[in-house]
Amino acid sequence: MTFLDQARNLVRAAHDPQRVSALAAFETLGVPSTTDEVWRYAPLGDLGLERFEMANDPTPPSASVARDLAERAALVIRVHNGHLVEVRGTCEGVEVALRLAQSDDRYAHDAFAQLAFALSPGVLEITIAPGTVLDAPLVVDSSVGPGASFPLLRVLAGARSSVSLVEHLSSADGSFVVPVAEYVVDESAALRVGTYQHLERDAWHLGRSLATVGRDATMRQAVISLGAHYNRSRNDADLVGTGASNELRTTFLGRGDQVHDYRTRQFHRAPRTTSVLLSKGAVAGESRSVYTGLIEIEKGAKKTDARQTNHNLLLSPHAHADSVPNLDIRENDVVCAHASSVGPLDELQLWYLESRGVPRADAERLMIQGFLYEMVAALPVSIAEVIETTLARELVAVVEAR
Amino acid sequence: MSQLVIEDLHVEIGSREVLRGFDLTMSSGEVHVIMGPNGSGKSTLAHALTGHPGYRITGGRASIDGVNLLELTPSERVHAGLFLALQHPLDVPGVRLVDALVSAGATGEDVRERMRVEAERLGLRDELLDRFINVDLSGGERKRAEMVQFGILRPHFAVLDEIDSGLDVDALGAVARRLSQATTEWNCGVLAITHFRRLLQELTPDVIHVVSAGRVVATGGAELSEQLEAEGYEPFAALGR
Repeated sequence: MTFLDQARNLVRAAHDPQRVSALAAFETLGVPSTTDEVWRYAPLGDLGLERFEMANDPTPPSASVARDLAERAALVIRVHNGHLVEVRGTCEGVEVALRLAQSDDRYAHDAFAQLAFALSPGVLEITIAPGTVLDAPLVVDSSVGPGASFPLLRVLAGARSSVSLVEHLSSADGSFVVPVAEYVVDESAALRVGTYQHLERDAWHLGRSLATVGRDATMRQAVISLGAHYNRSRNDADLVGTGASNELRTTFLGRGDQVHDYRTRQFHRAPRTTSVLLSKGAVAGESRSVYTGLIEIEKGAKKTDARQTNHNLLLSPHAHADSVPNLDIRENDVVCAHASSVGPLDELQLWYLESRGVPRADAERLMIQGFLYEMVAALPVSIAEVIETTLARELVAVVEAR
Repeated sequence: MSQLVIEDLHVEIGSREVLRGFDLTMSSGEVHVIMGPNGSGKSTLAHALTGHPGYRITGGRASIDGVNLLELTPSERVHAGLFLALQHPLDVPGVRLVDALVSAGATGEDVRERMRVEAERLGLRDELLDRFINVDLSGGERKRAEMVQFGILRPHFAVLDEIDSGLDVDALGAVARRLSQATTEWNCGVLAITHFRRLLQELTPDVIHVVSAGRVVATGGAELSEQLEAEGYEPFAALGR
């Protein structure tokens, strides 16, 4: 049975008109082609969606990398193939439930999101009551595969709440995963999200997140991707309330023939909104990265301040990084800035370290770690330590291969 | 007892030959000073010895105890006993000195503590050593931070490129004292490059070399510096042509 036959059977059995229309939308849209500008860097010709089976098993593998994270968490939410497995701990002001997923107009042209809404077991909804303030992070420990899976997440941060959320995404071999996340940050709330994508190296990851940030609310998001064969990460923010602010940091390390394909859109729809975007990644081997960022400022969004920075480190002559910043500004009274760079490690800085007795390979490793440092340092401590350890190990291999 | 021997060293920057047959021999525990006008090749010597990528060695030898430094990578030269303090120490954002020193082979759990002790000897605020290497440090602080590196790495020979530029009198005194102590502490050889006499008042040299147009044109004792003081470099320049 082909993937699509399975999908049709599943949707038919669910008796849910929402799923029926989402699948119909997917079938109409079809798997995108690289002639579509939005997908031009994606090796979708190699995807072969038909080779995947639905990953419907709700039983997770026993131990998870996220154990270190769990120790310092306020709550650990275990998810496998999009199923809610368990919630460890209790936390006043936080509700967790798996609910029926519903697509909406914002995803009308997104084939993979439609597929997710058709096939996901449901949306993991984390509701944070107004005024809830937590010191320790909420941890979503999400694992997938093998096969196709569609973990959906919706976080509703109530007014004046202040919460950190850490998402850890891991997989078995042979995974195709489409995570769709939505964050709604109410008035004067502060939501901090760190997403660590650590899938197996043959995985296809087509992730998308959308933050809606209300009046005087703050959304700080960090996305770190080390895994997957093809890593698509689209992260959008709608700044809908006056004084809303968004910070987005995206980080990746490309090895082998990995493709990291980042897209961002900071949509300023209200006055005095601010966005700061920092994207930093390193590509080694024959890997490549794309950063396509759009700052969009609506007429009337006066005193908006939007900044976009993208730095790429080339660690091999066969690696490649593209940086495509875009601005669409329909208001005059704004500050908008973007900067980007693509280049190798600084030879003089390397020499300086070597002339202090640091062997070349260590000097390279220290400098790559240093390049990524500010991205890791901005994360909640527990996840930063996990990532730092993994990065250090991965970089030994990266430097050896140079 | 170690020996640093530089023989007939030729070095080019781009297509310009800057060192043209440079010779110098010194032993551990000695303090040698290289003096010369701007452009005579003093800094080139320092950079070429440590394998800076912008300098091409076209002939000659430089060795410590018979080990040819020029065949070694920059870090191997450090392990052979060579250390360079730069006129303008570079900054390396994202990398901490303690991590670099540990990678350089500084052993033991107490590396950071030894850094603190060295910083104290140099009058350098210890917390500056927790910053990324030389990031947001003043010129003087960078030089003292390099002397901390020196104190941890304990080289056989330290080459100091214009160590006196950008240092106030107190800092220069502290750096000179640290170097003098090293000559007895571990019998370190000090090769200081300068074009000011001020350093000589702080760091008593055993030997002075005058450099002109890429080679040593005169070698002697304190009398050389007096002659320089009285007559300037011009009489020596004639020897280099």
